[in-house]
Amino acid sequence: MDKSSQLPGGYHGRILEVDLSKGRIKSLPLNPEDLALYLGGRGLGIRLFYDRVDPACDPFDPENALVIATSPLIGTNAPTAGRGHMVFKSPLTGGLGSSNCGGTWAPAFKATGYDVLIIQGKASEPVFLDITEEKVEIKSATDLWGLDVHQTTEILTSQDSPPHSRVLCIGPAGERRIRFASVMSDRNRAYGRGGAGAVWGSKNLKAIRVAGRAKIHIHDKDQYQSGAEQAYYLLKQAPATKRLLKELGTLGLIELINLIEMLPHRNFQDNTHRDEDVEKISGEFLAKQFLIRAGGCYLCPIACQRHTRVNQKRGEGPEYETTVMLGPVCDIYDLEAITLANYACNELGLDTISFGGTLACAMELFERGILTEKDTEGFDLRFGQAQVLISLVYRTAFRQGIGDLLAEGSFRFASAFSHPEFSMTIKKQEIPGYEPRASYTQALGYMTSPTGACHLKGGYAVSLAFFGGPKEIPRFSLLQSPLAIRNMHNLGIIQDTLGICRFTGFAFSTDPWARMVSGVTGLDFSTVELERLANRVATLERLFNLEAGFGPEDDTLPKRFSLEPIIVAGEERVISQDLIRQLRSDYYRARGWDEAGRPPLRLLESLGLRKR
Amino acid sequence: MKIKVKFFASMRQLFQTREREVDLPEGACFRHLLDLLCDSAERREGLFDKETKLNPNLVFLRNGQPIQSFGGLEARLEEGDVVAIFPLLGGG
Repeated sequence: MDKSSQLPGGYHGRILEVDLSKGRIKSLPLNPEDLALYLGGRGLGIRLFYDRVDPACDPFDPENALVIATSPLIGTNAPTAGRGHMVFKSPLTGGLGSSNCGGTWAPAFKATGYDVLIIQGKASEPVFLDITEEKVEIKSATDLWGLDVHQTTEILTSQDSPPHSRVLCIGPAGERRIRFASVMSDRNRAYGRGGAGAVWGSKNLKAIRVAGRAKIHIHDKDQYQSGAEQAYYLLKQAPATKRLLKELGTLGLIELINLIEMLPHRNFQDNTHRDEDVEKISGEFLAKQFLIRAGGCYLCPIACQRHTRVNQKRGEGPEYETTVMLGPVCDIYDLEAITLANYACNELGLDTISFGGTLACAMELFERGILTEKDTEGFDLRFGQAQVLISLVYRTAFRQGIGDLLAEGSFRFASAFSHPEFSMTIKKQEIPGYEPRASYTQALGYMTSPTGACHLKGGYAVSLAFFGGPKEIPRFSLLQSPLAIRNMHNLGIIQDTLGICRFTGFAFSTDPWARMVSGVTGLDFSTVELERLANRVATLERLFNLEAGFGPEDDTLPKRFSLEPIIVAGEERVISQDLIRQLRSDYYRARGWDEAGRPPLRLLESLGLRKR
Repeated sequence: MKIKVKFFASMRQLFQTREREVDLPEGACFRHLLDLLCDSAERREGLFDKETKLNPNLVFLRNGQPIQSFGGLEARLEEGDVVAIFPLLGGG
């Protein structure tokens, strides 16, 4: 049968496969069955990745792959449908790396006539990929190696480059395999977590430039349009997506998080802050002091980006997570220092969350006398030292002095000083800016996230307990948390698979998306089918992690959270070991996995999930 | 009894202040507090949904806990309570 006649709408039907070791470039057809079962983005990404990569491989081995997948909505005018998804084996966790990014690169890549890019192997010298509709070339990047993200992007989008070129690249941090190096898009958007940038560095891959005009076919325009129009309408109704995120950015949230006692402090030792300190790092303060304008990713009417200026320096950020991790988690409430450190992380290609978490861990070791000035080259690493932030960002990105060890992330850092218990990580990835002891849903979301602690993969649990109105899940509900978190993980998988933004969820749920994606593809992606797809993807991600060596003992929290109580709503709170076991086991059951977190064969069959 | 009300983000513009202390009779509930605060049609429209329900786009906290967990509009207030009103926002 002619394969092209089976191709659903919304796809070009082609994978671009690049083997950097052999210098070989191939165009492969997408398998229609994979599209029906895994759709695109995160779902299709893990399917193609799982089929190619041995989960036991070393993340820096040339065998590790980078799969960048788009969705059939990319190339339409659906709101926020411009997000790409990258799957790889993470050098930080040793398990699944799965990272999502906005900006404009993914739509530009899709306009070159491909849906997915797969990169394997290792180039013998620094290279960049140059992709247009006409040709795909592996070009020397010897002149670009060593440049930062902004310089690299500048050069690759300069006058002699194809019109409307978009660039994805790494900075010095990725080149030096910092385990939490990011891949940057449009200069300041990040595939931030899990160290994708380090995998690029290990392959001698500096950048990918794309430019094209290829269009996709929409199967049923009326059905698509009915979903898209409703989505745009609803985004203009909900205050968060209509104006609040534009006015205050994600940092507008910080005072609420403090109020509900979920704002972490001093490497998660406590959750107490002075209100006047939090005001100095609030969204309002940022808007008053440093904001030039708000900005949006591709086709995004929400516009949460912060284009800011500090003195003469311009850049983007900070967002909520960055502010919390470089700020209160290090006992720093100096927004100017935080913003400048954020600029540096963007330019050098470092994940701000893991950097902040690693620095906070070093600060705790220093205050405990485990780390001394001899180890830190004279740096005073007590908590609250805002002046060390920017120097340590540079030292980490370039692996200089103490930075060489910070570059390994907090787990390996603390282990080097024989105190891994001071690393606030799950699966060796740093916990972001929400205190897990202040909510069972948050704790469980972090524990069971397939990529290690993550506010995106783990679930944005604050919204369950405080934004739910009548559908609210109490934050200490043992009964409701496992199902609520499974559902929230599923929603995240659906959003990442469709290539759209989490924040659309403040205005509407999956129904308009179901109509849009069914209309574009001509396939049945009802809300029920999307839910089934999410279960399938979660289970495939689980299979990869199990084969990579993870088990239930990795779906847990650092000891601090079960031993050292914090006060929440007037009560001492920990997440005890018993509670951890019970929440975890209930989550496994909600997923249909066994007590050891293994999906039984009959589940794989019912999900239509084939193993390798 | 004295109740402290804290306003955040867009609520600060609506109420032209960051914080206010109000005096309510003993036994007053959350509805009485909001009635007192909503001294204009604009403020009433801001806090309520169709005049009778709490605006679902806002977070109402009593001492750091959602007001819904105390019974919503019928929640009894107590001397020294701190109420916070916050619009829904996302963090990333």
